[in-house]
Amino acid sequence: VTGWSDWALWSAEWIALLVIFTGLLQTAFYVVQLGFAGVALGRKPPIARASLLWRRYADEAPSIAVLAPAFNEEITIVESVTSLLALHYPDFEVIVINDGSKDATLETVVRHFGLSKVDRFHDYRVKHNPIRGLYASPRLPRLLVVDKENGGKSDALNAGINVARATLFCSIDADSLLEPDALLRAVRPFVEEPRRTVAAGGTIRIANGSRIEAGQVLDIKMPRNFLALVQIVEYLRAFLMARLALSAMQALTVISGAFGIFQRQAVLEVGGYTHGTVGEDMELVIKLHRLFRERKQEYRIDFIPEPVCWTEVPDSLLILGRQRARWQRGALETFFRHKKMLFNPRYGRIGFLGMGHVLVVDVVGPLVEVLGYILVPLLWGLGLLAWDYFLAFLAITFTFGIFVSVATLILEEAELRRFPNARDLAILTAVAVAENFGYRQLANFWRLRGWWQFLRKQQGWGTMTRKGFAKT
Amino acid sequence: LSGLAALWFVSLGIAGVALFIMLGLLLARLILGWSGRARAQEKKRLIPMLLGSAPHGMLRGRIHGDLLATVLVELIQLVRGSDRERFVEAATRLGVPERLRHHLSSGSARVRLSASEALAEFPDDESVERLQASLRDRSSDVRLSAALALASFGKTPPTRELVDRLGIGTRENSLLTVGLFRDIAAQRPQEIRALILDNSVPAGAKAAAIEALSASADYSLVPLIASLALSSESDDPALPRYVRALGAFGHPAGEKAVKRGLSSPSWEVRAAAAEAAGRIGLVTLGVHLRELLADPEWWVRFRAGEALARMGADGARLLREAAQHAPEPGRTAAVLTMAERGIK
Repeated sequence: VTGWSDWALWSAEWIALLVIFTGLLQTAFYVVQLGFAGVALGRKPPIARASLLWRRYADEAPSIAVLAPAFNEEITIVESVTSLLALHYPDFEVIVINDGSKDATLETVVRHFGLSKVDRFHDYRVKHNPIRGLYASPRLPRLLVVDKENGGKSDALNAGINVARATLFCSIDADSLLEPDALLRAVRPFVEEPRRTVAAGGTIRIANGSRIEAGQVLDIKMPRNFLALVQIVEYLRAFLMARLALSAMQALTVISGAFGIFQRQAVLEVGGYTHGTVGEDMELVIKLHRLFRERKQEYRIDFIPEPVCWTEVPDSLLILGRQRARWQRGALETFFRHKKMLFNPRYGRIGFLGMGHVLVVDVVGPLVEVLGYILVPLLWGLGLLAWDYFLAFLAITFTFGIFVSVATLILEEAELRRFPNARDLAILTAVAVAENFGYRQLANFWRLRGWWQFLRKQQGWGTMTRKGFAKT
Repeated sequence: LSGLAALWFVSLGIAGVALFIMLGLLLARLILGWSGRARAQEKKRLIPMLLGSAPHGMLRGRIHGDLLATVLVELIQLVRGSDRERFVEAATRLGVPERLRHHLSSGSARVRLSASEALAEFPDDESVERLQASLRDRSSDVRLSAALALASFGKTPPTRELVDRLGIGTRENSLLTVGLFRDIAAQRPQEIRALILDNSVPAGAKAAAIEALSASADYSLVPLIASLALSSESDDPALPRYVRALGAFGHPAGEKAVKRGLSSPSWEVRAAAAEAAGRIGLVTLGVHLRELLADPEWWVRFRAGEALARMGADGARLLREAAQHAPEPGRTAAVLTMAERGIK
């Protein structure tokens, strides 16, 4: 390491140390999360059969409105609604919100279910674009269709919240496939702690490759596409490790838009879903934390590890890249909108742990890691960095990543054992190792693109390509 | 070795250990996969044997005890009548309750919870004794589950004692406590009634007791609940539950408390009172309800409209008046309530 000025050497070392320190901080977060998730899984009640859950909750379960926003879903709407109406829950209604579809979504659902235009006295408390009509049928008292002018997913959900008459609402994505007993399972925190629980999320699983019929996953199979396989490992990290652990710490910052149950009144009090953000699910959870912390009122936002919902993930680089950039942009929008919560004692653990986690993993993480990919090998190649720095960089970029992914798989296998056979588990172990070499770096570049879009204040979701569930 | 180089070796070490453990789990899965398939086969074979008339001596010893217990409990919970009795008898003969009682001593709360739930099907003395001991379990889930099991065969300890042991209304606020009290009230209603009268009982437990009794048609409770509602502060979280219970009884003796509730500063109490007024049919409060059609809170407007719609001709007249003359939002509330209910 000669021929360079002290200043250049000093700068190179500091850059490397910044990259290493940030990586270590992220790894430390993950290791703590693994510990919490392990304890939470050990303590969770046994997975009860649906019939037992029904017997247990039939008399006491609070009413739930399932809000299903639909935009240009003409092909899948009948199957989706039929599947929602078949949910096992004592007291629920399905509210389909046609968000100004340009195709025949409304006509299809109205014709198929024999609905007609009705009057219904509803709330106007949260803002959304005008409702054009409500459709129902006395033959199907659980179904209500709301037809409104287009305004996006948040806007559609707000209309659903206004129209709902249940104590709780369950928001889902148009392409979410719910387990028949999803509501019975996810309502548990609201039954156990009815006064304090304001929101609960559940595990989302990946349906690519599985056999799906009539809106139900009939046979769980591994996808053949590498990107879909990698996302299985990612979802395990996100749901089984991060969300379960943050929930155990009562510092959960996001409940997936694909499935979440919320106390309607609490959501009304925070003004419903926020318009003009692509991270409306995270934004809502942070707003709820903020409201209850500012009121100094006891509350809980929980996560249940049982799978409640299936979704089909992107299997092309183009669409996945767009999705990841959008998620990154959503996280940044929420973080900066609520930045005063960060490390603010007024917000307790959500300010320190929840927002601290977002800062390290979502805000600083991708920037510093991409900086590391470019600079550390370069500086080492130029002789500005010693070999030890390069080794430490490899540790935080590759080997710790392998450890965290494999450890999550260990947790899954030791506690839940949801993958049907040893072969699937072996494939996922190989993927957990392989994803650190290439995919992880690519994902960070996508997140950097999200950063760029955020800085340019880019709005909207970009082009969404809905493939629909493959019937294998 | 520098700290940075150590980081590399540590990371290699823990990644290697994780992979090694995963390899072990994979091997275990291969073996368990085989035994799991064998167990599934065994289960397939077992069910017809249990449904038929295979001698139980054939089953004991040949079938894994936990599998036998699981299958029998599932069958017991699935059927009713004489079939259920037959399965309970078979399970008792095959030692299932004994096995479940043993599971109540497990170190895992999950196992203890499953066992206490399953023991609800076996009301023998030993199981009752063991479940009563479980009311002191370190897990609140197990304690509540044991109480529910005991209540299902009427063997809970005195209810006042149960409230303290489970911390009902303080540590334990599950909605399942309403079902627990309902089960107890089916055999010992006086104990649940005593909770309502006892000043030392937490408000949450009292509210659960009132809800449990609200379907009992014991109208002598109405003045008692009404006096509780009248003496509660408007921000008492139990107050809407008291008022709602008055509505569930549907007895006019609750009128004074309902009327007071309609003017409460808490919207939850106003909404509960409006609902109760409709369920009791308190036509005398109709004008008050018409005013609540313009309440700032939608739930109150909705419940007021619903209550008026329930009041027959008098309520319909008040709705029509509001639809024609009331300022917004009362007018819209009246118009849409009438449209929805088919009131011309």
